[in-house]
Amino acid sequence: MKKYSLYTLALSILLFVSCSSDDDGTTEELTGSGEISIKYDNGFNGNDLILNTPNSANENGEVITVTRFNYIVSNFRLVNEEGEEFVYPKDESYFIVSQETEEDNIVLPGIPAGKYTTLKFGIGVDQEKYLQGSEGQGDFLAEAEANNMMWSWQAGYKFLNFEGSFTSESVTEPTDFKIHMGSHGSSLDNYKEVTLELPTSVIVSDEIDSSIHLKIDASKILVSSNNIKLSEKSVIMVDEEKSPQIAVNTTEMFVVDHVHNGESHD
Amino acid sequence: MTNDFLNIKHLTLLWAFACATLGFANDMGPLPEPSPCAAHFHYEEGYFDFCDTCGCGSSGGSMGYGTAMNSYFVGLRYIGQQYRSRDGIFNNSPWITENFNTLQAWGNIPVTERIILNAIVPYQFHNRVLPDGTDQEINGLGDISVLAFYNLLKATPDSIVSIKPEHYLQLGGGIKAPTGKYDKANNTGSVNPSFQLGNGSWDYILAMNYGFTHRNWGISTLLNYTFKTKNPKEYQFGNQLNYGINAFKTYYLSDFALTPIVGLAGEKFESNEEYGLKVADTEGNVFLGKLSIEGSYKNYALGLTGVLPISQDLNNGRVELRHRLSVYLNINL
Repeated sequence: MKKYSLYTLALSILLFVSCSSDDDGTTEELTGSGEISIKYDNGFNGNDLILNTPNSANENGEVITVTRFNYIVSNFRLVNEEGEEFVYPKDESYFIVSQETEEDNIVLPGIPAGKYTTLKFGIGVDQEKYLQGSEGQGDFLAEAEANNMMWSWQAGYKFLNFEGSFTSESVTEPTDFKIHMGSHGSSLDNYKEVTLELPTSVIVSDEIDSSIHLKIDASKILVSSNNIKLSEKSVIMVDEEKSPQIAVNTTEMFVVDHVHNGESHD
Repeated sequence: MTNDFLNIKHLTLLWAFACATLGFANDMGPLPEPSPCAAHFHYEEGYFDFCDTCGCGSSGGSMGYGTAMNSYFVGLRYIGQQYRSRDGIFNNSPWITENFNTLQAWGNIPVTERIILNAIVPYQFHNRVLPDGTDQEINGLGDISVLAFYNLLKATPDSIVSIKPEHYLQLGGGIKAPTGKYDKANNTGSVNPSFQLGNGSWDYILAMNYGFTHRNWGISTLLNYTFKTKNPKEYQFGNQLNYGINAFKTYYLSDFALTPIVGLAGEKFESNEEYGLKVADTEGNVFLGKLSIEGSYKNYALGLTGVLPISQDLNNGRVELRHRLSVYLNINL
């Protein structure tokens, strides 16, 4: 009997030790600022997006080969656990994600220390920025031109440049498609915003840089809230009906895959 | 699904092989009755099954270690485990093969009549080929673990042949020390966070073994739980539950004893944490089929074990166990 109680004692001590050492779990106070990077990992209907390679047929029976997939992301904001929103400096908050040049990692330095639960960003360039005129765009204008993301200054930015070829039941020969979505000067505003709740908070401080890994599904551009059939119209640029539908669909292609705390991506 | 099916097929083949071996053994003449003081030991049949992380990188693998009842030994064991893990987040992201190799010095040392000390000192040598073709190798000392077991119920050693089944029950606990290096860089961008020499943390283990033998038959079961703590790099591997059941039968051929063992085992992993927050896709479970054969001669025992997954869901499908293999040579004290 004595031996049993000795054993029970040993067991309890073990339990106690193992439990108590878990308890200091939460991190020390977060101070200063750090870097958050956002990886835009481009895919197509669950698969990795590879340019010039046919993807499996979509809901409309269209087999799409993508040759260009570029888009503008902007106006980054992060909401912390207390619900306070940090707005990344607007003038430095415009980026191009390009599958052609493999630019897919957006780096945001100087984020105040904290735990953030929500990521918000825009797709395209908002009217406020556009109305600052060509001088107000800084280097971004040249970058957009270099990445085929401008029609002309008057016509404005292409927020999304999605090109390639497709075949379908009715279109058996590979046929080019072009989807250029933007705001067309200041007359038609297609700038949209995306809000993504993070599955785990992202932490940042002087000691901790972290990253958010987004999974992009480019197939959503055509098939999402709005169903766009390329066999009906394969070049969509200035289109008062379909262009806003594309803008809505584009906001639906972003999903947070995971958060890496204390690790920058790549 | 297809994989699971294939593995079941492999298991069946292995089983058929084991049966054939047995048949052969049976043909070797009438089997002698279990010798009255046969001090034979089945290292794979009981004790503490223990695999560290989801990738089982750091230590045992659910291989089982230790002997039935109250045997004391020292030995060497090799454990090879092959995993494949997806490098990327997409359905068509490439798989990379990861090989986890462990060479262990292990032993069961008596402390008192009822207390056994169990220690494992692992040396790890792991490798994988990344999609860009580069080799990555890590090697070095792994996490040393020390456990103490108390025999609550003890099968009588060296007893005369008993008509009734002999039961044993052991309770134990211990620690796993962070003697293996945890390198954060191995964890960056990679899907399998277990490509490490060690957890980097002090971990605590509770273990229970129960079994019985009847004539030359036996059943052993095990259950253990590892509480893992946060390492200095703010990473915490998820707690782990292991369980298993084995059935065995010993055949005696003069000085030799041959014991085929068939078993089922499972491992369940909680989510890893980083800075106190869950790391996505790090929990998982695996259910295993196990076949092993152990031969003993005088004080020496040589064993071979193969393990294949029956079903698994590791790291949200981004990591898959292919197989485990172990070979050991022990000397009974």
